[in-house]
Amino acid sequence: MTWVTIGLSAGTMLTMAVVLTAILGWANKKFQVDVDERALTIINVLPGANCGGCGYVGCGEYAEAVALEHEAVNKCTVGGQSCALAVAAIMGVEVGETLPYRPIVHCGAHYNDRLGRNEYRGEMRCSAANLVTDVQGCTFGCLGFGDCARACDFDALHVVDGLATVDYEKCVGCGACAKVCPRNIITITPFKSEQMLAVTCSNKDKGKDVITVCNVGCIGCGACARTSSLFTLKDNLSTIDYDAYSPTCSLEVLDACKKCKRQRLVFVGKPTTDDLEKTVDMEAPALIEPDFKTTVDDTEWRG
Amino acid sequence: MDYIFDIFLISISAALINNFVLYYFVGICPFIGVSRRVDMALGMGSAVTFVMTIAVFLSWTITTLVLMPGAPVSRWVAGHFMSAEKAAGIDLTILTYIIYIFSIASSVQFVEMYVRKFYPPLYKSFGVFLPLITTNCAILFACLTVMSNIIGGENPIEAWDLGRALALGLFGGAGFTIAIVIMAGIREELDLCDIPAPFKGAAITLIVGGILAMAFMGFNGVDSGLKAALTGAP
Repeated sequence: MTWVTIGLSAGTMLTMAVVLTAILGWANKKFQVDVDERALTIINVLPGANCGGCGYVGCGEYAEAVALEHEAVNKCTVGGQSCALAVAAIMGVEVGETLPYRPIVHCGAHYNDRLGRNEYRGEMRCSAANLVTDVQGCTFGCLGFGDCARACDFDALHVVDGLATVDYEKCVGCGACAKVCPRNIITITPFKSEQMLAVTCSNKDKGKDVITVCNVGCIGCGACARTSSLFTLKDNLSTIDYDAYSPTCSLEVLDACKKCKRQRLVFVGKPTTDDLEKTVDMEAPALIEPDFKTTVDDTEWRG
Repeated sequence: MDYIFDIFLISISAALINNFVLYYFVGICPFIGVSRRVDMALGMGSAVTFVMTIAVFLSWTITTLVLMPGAPVSRWVAGHFMSAEKAAGIDLTILTYIIYIFSIASSVQFVEMYVRKFYPPLYKSFGVFLPLITTNCAILFACLTVMSNIIGGENPIEAWDLGRALALGLFGGAGFTIAIVIMAGIREELDLCDIPAPFKGAAITLIVGGILAMAFMGFNGVDSGLKAALTGAP
């Protein structure tokens, strides 16, 4: 009896193993999906950040698109030029010019510059505060609750005195911040040089209304547009034509920057060595560390 | 008509009253892990429903034919080695767990290959969840429930047939989907809330899951009430 039971058990397991292996083996052949060899090699070259900066869900998706659908090889913003070259080598194509994409925050108002700020007791999120009127006077500018800073996987964006500020040293240009900003004031722009000229304001109201809500916002006077053809006035807001922008700014353009009464035409990007020398004597304000001390911290851990 | 009532009661019970996730607390890992977005939760739920039905079908077939005491196949094989009365007493119930895991794993593997070949968008949306179902305890639990209703019952006439087993698998999966989608909906709202720091992440999710389970306790007793109403018993 016992031996028969043992034999039957072993036999059942063995039969199942044989049958299931046969079925799975057959299915493996029958349902085989041809994966492009090149897609596999491209995945190895890509950074693997899965940030979605290229517009695909992850690096794998992008690699497949490159291999099968002849997607452009230079879409990876994290990998930049070197990655594009490596992918191009695998695909056997020439790589075009890859400009690093970086975010520009189109707002320049710190807390002191913003007028009409009111007490806000809701969720400390931009997405929530954006639904409420009168959090601050300006309905276009940065809210300063840091949704973008939370969205950043690379610690490259921080809220400094109420204004989202990009750390261009760390930024890889994945564009996560631009996606979450409820006011759409962050644009992802191809940087033709380390520093780019930008209009750091998004307010499209008439000049008089802007003055009532902001100390620094663009009033749409059009002085820049009159001085240089690089600027155009769109909806009471100065706009830069980045297609026509060249890294070596003409005197005309620099002149326009000086003419701006609100000094909204500023260069953003990595600091140059000159800038660093200038600020070396200045004392940086001490970082305020958040104080999360609770009673739990004082107790000794005996886990 | 009794049969249809029975199927109906099993379905309602598996989907709502004795919901696998919220009543028995099985399948908690995908319930917490994949309930971040509603569309992902729906994908996971449909994958689980699909696999659960297949797994229940397989386990019912194997249990009835081979594993249960006096099963036809094992009795026939054993009959070659011993007398017929002894062969009728052969009991392979000890093998249930390992064979269920075995069949679940291979059916998941099969489903993955099939979906990958014929429904690539679905495969992409399932992503890593499909292999994860292999170790989903809700599915093993469904198989074991079916087993206990075949073998454990005192009266052999009350043993479940394939229809009842499939109803349990299908609607157990539907109940899982309901629970995980509700949870995902709540968690999407939760993302906008100011949660105290110690509760952030998994902690608040478990608390919400507990409250959700309490809400589902409201279905308790509905099955006996339904039974009384349907059979017309006083």
